[in-house]
Amino acid sequence: MTATQEQGAPDQAVPTQRRHAMRVRKRNGDLEPVDVNKIVKAVERWVGDLDDVDPLRVATKTISGLYDGATTAELDKLSIHTAAELIGEEPQYSKLAARLLAAYVDKEVRGQGVASFSQSIRYAHQQGLIGAEAAAFVARNARKLDDAVDLDGDLRFEYFGLRTVADRYLLRHPETRLVVETPQYWLLRVACGLSQTPGEAIGFYRLMSSLAYLPSSPTLFNSGTRHTQLSSCFLVDSPQDELDSIYERYHQVAKLSKFSGGIGISWSRVRGRGALIRGTNGKSNGIVPFLKTLDAGVAAVNQGGRRKGAACVYLEPWHPDIEEFLELRDNTGEDARRTHNLNLANWIPDEFMRRVEADGEWSLIDPSDAPELPDLFGEEFDEAYRAAEKKAVRRVRARELYGRMMRTLAQTGNGWMTFKDRSNRLSNQTGAAGNTIHLSNLCTEILEVNSDDETAVCNLGSVNLGAHVTADGIDWARLRETVRTAVVFLDRVIDINYYPSAQAAASNPRWRPVGLGLMGLQDAFFALRLPFDSAEARALSTRVQEEIFLTALETSADLAQRFGPHPAYPETRAAAGELHPEIWGADMEQTPRWAALKERIAEHGLRNSLLIAIAPTATIASIAGCYECIEPQVSNLFKRETMSGEFLQINTYLVRELKARGLWTSAIREQIKRADGSVQQIAELPADVRELFRTAWELPQRALIDLAAARAPFIDQSQSLNLFMSAPTIGKLSSMYLYAWKSGLKTSYYLRSRPATRIQQATVPVAPAAATAPIAVLPDAEALACSLENPESCEACQ
Amino acid sequence: MTTIPDARTSSSAAGERHLLLDPGMDLTLRPMRYPRFFDRFRDAIKNTWTVEEVDLHSDLADLHKLSPAEQHLVSRLVAFFATGDTIVANNLVLNLYQHVNSPEGRLYLSRQLFEEAVHVQFYLNLLDTYVPDEQERFEAFAAVENIPSIARKAEFCFKWIDSIFELRELRTKEDRRAFLLNLICFAACIEGLFFYGAFAYVYFLRSRGLLHGLASGTNWVFRDESMHMAFAFDVVDTVRAEEPDLFDARMEQQVREMLAEAVECEVQFAEDLLEQGVSGMSPADMREYLQHVADRRLAALGIEPLYGSGNPFAFMELQDVQELSNFFERRVSAYQVGVTGTVGFDDDF
Repeated sequence: MTATQEQGAPDQAVPTQRRHAMRVRKRNGDLEPVDVNKIVKAVERWVGDLDDVDPLRVATKTISGLYDGATTAELDKLSIHTAAELIGEEPQYSKLAARLLAAYVDKEVRGQGVASFSQSIRYAHQQGLIGAEAAAFVARNARKLDDAVDLDGDLRFEYFGLRTVADRYLLRHPETRLVVETPQYWLLRVACGLSQTPGEAIGFYRLMSSLAYLPSSPTLFNSGTRHTQLSSCFLVDSPQDELDSIYERYHQVAKLSKFSGGIGISWSRVRGRGALIRGTNGKSNGIVPFLKTLDAGVAAVNQGGRRKGAACVYLEPWHPDIEEFLELRDNTGEDARRTHNLNLANWIPDEFMRRVEADGEWSLIDPSDAPELPDLFGEEFDEAYRAAEKKAVRRVRARELYGRMMRTLAQTGNGWMTFKDRSNRLSNQTGAAGNTIHLSNLCTEILEVNSDDETAVCNLGSVNLGAHVTADGIDWARLRETVRTAVVFLDRVIDINYYPSAQAAASNPRWRPVGLGLMGLQDAFFALRLPFDSAEARALSTRVQEEIFLTALETSADLAQRFGPHPAYPETRAAAGELHPEIWGADMEQTPRWAALKERIAEHGLRNSLLIAIAPTATIASIAGCYECIEPQVSNLFKRETMSGEFLQINTYLVRELKARGLWTSAIREQIKRADGSVQQIAELPADVRELFRTAWELPQRALIDLAAARAPFIDQSQSLNLFMSAPTIGKLSSMYLYAWKSGLKTSYYLRSRPATRIQQATVPVAPAAATAPIAVLPDAEALACSLENPESCEACQ
Repeated sequence: MTTIPDARTSSSAAGERHLLLDPGMDLTLRPMRYPRFFDRFRDAIKNTWTVEEVDLHSDLADLHKLSPAEQHLVSRLVAFFATGDTIVANNLVLNLYQHVNSPEGRLYLSRQLFEEAVHVQFYLNLLDTYVPDEQERFEAFAAVENIPSIARKAEFCFKWIDSIFELRELRTKEDRRAFLLNLICFAACIEGLFFYGAFAYVYFLRSRGLLHGLASGTNWVFRDESMHMAFAFDVVDTVRAEEPDLFDARMEQQVREMLAEAVECEVQFAEDLLEQGVSGMSPADMREYLQHVADRRLAALGIEPLYGSGNPFAFMELQDVQELSNFFERRVSAYQVGVTGTVGFDDDF
């Protein structure tokens, strides 16, 4: 080795790295020259069916990024990154990178003497990671479970999904931080944590391993471990209008947040700025300073190093501090009155929207003057509100306030519009007087009653519709099978779950709500070639939702037959014979099945008060390699930035289409990149193909609302509906949200917009100066006639 | 107001026309002669961000995870950032503002000055966070003198600041060429190459899942710098359209030499940063990347490329692609401020 070094005596002019043969340091400490053929062979092992990848390319690019004396582990990692970096040219590199990563993880696990699933559980149990029950269950059934591991299971992952799993979901040794389970062991561990028999565990494992269904992240993180907090969402009622209650809420939020829960919390009961405090004869500083404290508290809680805590605060628009509330996320102004970590949502009674429409006045009323308002909805609210108006702190123009809400949405994406009356009137849980939904959750898909001593809880999971598509359309039988398994295991969570607060433990066993969602709707539309805004797409999405809801209710009735209805069942609308689509007044396709179901419910009741909620599925859709929930694609080419790094995401349906037409060329790729992932300018593509591959920014948002409204009768909670607008104006937004309210939607979620300008693209070719549009240097007279600041009055450029 | 001196006898076509680099202090916004500058000013306002929005919290944990080689890279990088934007701001005030004789152009430059100040504040905050030791912080600010690889870049900048510092008015073609060279230097070499080089290290680290706070602040800085460069090139193009013969062969040659020198400055900086060996980022790749960026700057100026190099860094290609963050992970940086309009119910959406 030294001899080689001396031969390459330093020569100032040439960078030393290029002149030396590159060497790697092996695990035993020896240096060895890098052998390109060895790397090629290591990559080739994983190529298999990937016919468009080039192992030599990966090997040479890897070496070019290497430094002399790097370790073999660094070499392995670099080859994974290198393969991943080629995804933009050829999506098959995603699978290749995933397989290289799986091999890397596998090596790490085996390196600790773990050769099977049961050994991995035993080892992790010794390290204090696995709960006693799961450890005993696996020990009892070791052979059956070990045999069930699907050796090819990891081949189904795309790179981004597996990277997410490896970095954040796999259990790690507390000291060495090495992973102690492979991806397949992880899914089997999750299944075992929720199962009573090995057969049940294996069935559930297979469903998850096929990526046709995944439970939500808290379940994927914690099932089978010592801390079985498996729920995603907590809905905390507003603190009472007193200090003790406010500080109790901070404590509760911290506890709920610690174990991966997302928090929704109302603040509508707390008095506003300037209200009298009798105890001290002082004036209140309002809700903002308290929310600032909540903001700091949420940021302080790190959910096991896996993600930051997150919370959304709900406020009703009659609260006197509503305007300051809407500015909490602004990035200008006094920082003491800004909350950078909290999300904000408006909990809006219909009366407000009616006054907006009629251009009426709106009264701001202090909750200390009308403490009953948060608990009322519908006509009772309307009457109480009108009666309280004579005590109003201030009156504003309803449209003025609505305009402020729109401004907040445009500037921050926050200030979600959620509708109190619709949410309550349609809920199965509000059948008895006194039960009120006071807010939605962090992602606006959960709607459950709560109170001072009951914090609502929801366990979530999502069906991957993309995995249920065949050449002939949706595989309905398989979809039903998936939903049945999913509901059984969501229900199971309720009994196994660790409840971080007494209020949460009080609510969940009584109502037993679950939230079964959907992801990969866009995948199904692409596979079946349905444009997102087509009538066929809307019909299919509605039909899918009906099938899911119906099957979920049937399964819940089955569970009720075996275990009895949930304790609060007599307080539900279902107990009175009313199901959600009927209250909605919707048409049902499968009438005989609904009729049969109603008879079964009348006889046995339901095990769960609520069953369906469409969550955003941000992370689990990545793991499953499908599009998020019910959303259209955001772009044909985009990147994700997560704690694991940055990842290029490319529309593989489009790539397949372009390849088939011989259009998958670097020129077309540049064009797509330059157009921010749009294919509308690619003239070589026929109009119907371009129509199919429109992005969320290019679709009429009316269609997104129409699809959501059409499926809504079959969603007994709600859906996380994002809306997209590149260049929002107050006029467009106010029209859009009024339409959403009139369509009967219960909630909406983020308004997504795009930055005003962007980073100069660093890697697409520059248009040379001669080819760019010359900058108009106008003679003075012309400058008068055309002003770019006022395009509406000038048609010269349109 | 002073009358405009007639220094344009050679350019008879210009006649009475008022040109962008004419000495003076034009105050007339109506009629507006360069509406594009005004649009850039308005767009820049929509990109307003504040240092408080950048959460550097998770970076602190990452700093401990870095290898010694990566720690060396980061400390050098931070030392460069400590003074980089201040230099740009100084040139803007000392050299650019007085000569761009258009009130709308000066509006943009005022805005740019504010942005540079925010960048300075961001990197100051970064330094205070990353480098808890007071003595080390002082050293970071002294890097322009003490660390040779940074000192050389600073000398390059000062040389070009000084080149037109004495010019109070641009009276001759040579004056205007000197001005353009200064402008091109700061746009193409300093903001367009030194900063782009620095951003590459940041994005490399982020592609490995490291230092997200730095990367998210850098996203915004990068967005601003892109605008600064675009504005400067607008000015170049405008001047060129007004006085086409300014861009002669000699000037083109000077621009090429300037970029070549900038590339060499940045390459020796890269060799310093990467001297301990960083897996995934070799000095050879960095050189190729810088050459590629330099070629792009030349192309934007309509000048033949020097190197014909490609971009070796796939993680930089990611920066060209629309971002989609999910809010559990990071704050989304894609929103805009400055929304207009009034409440209505009949708009199309």
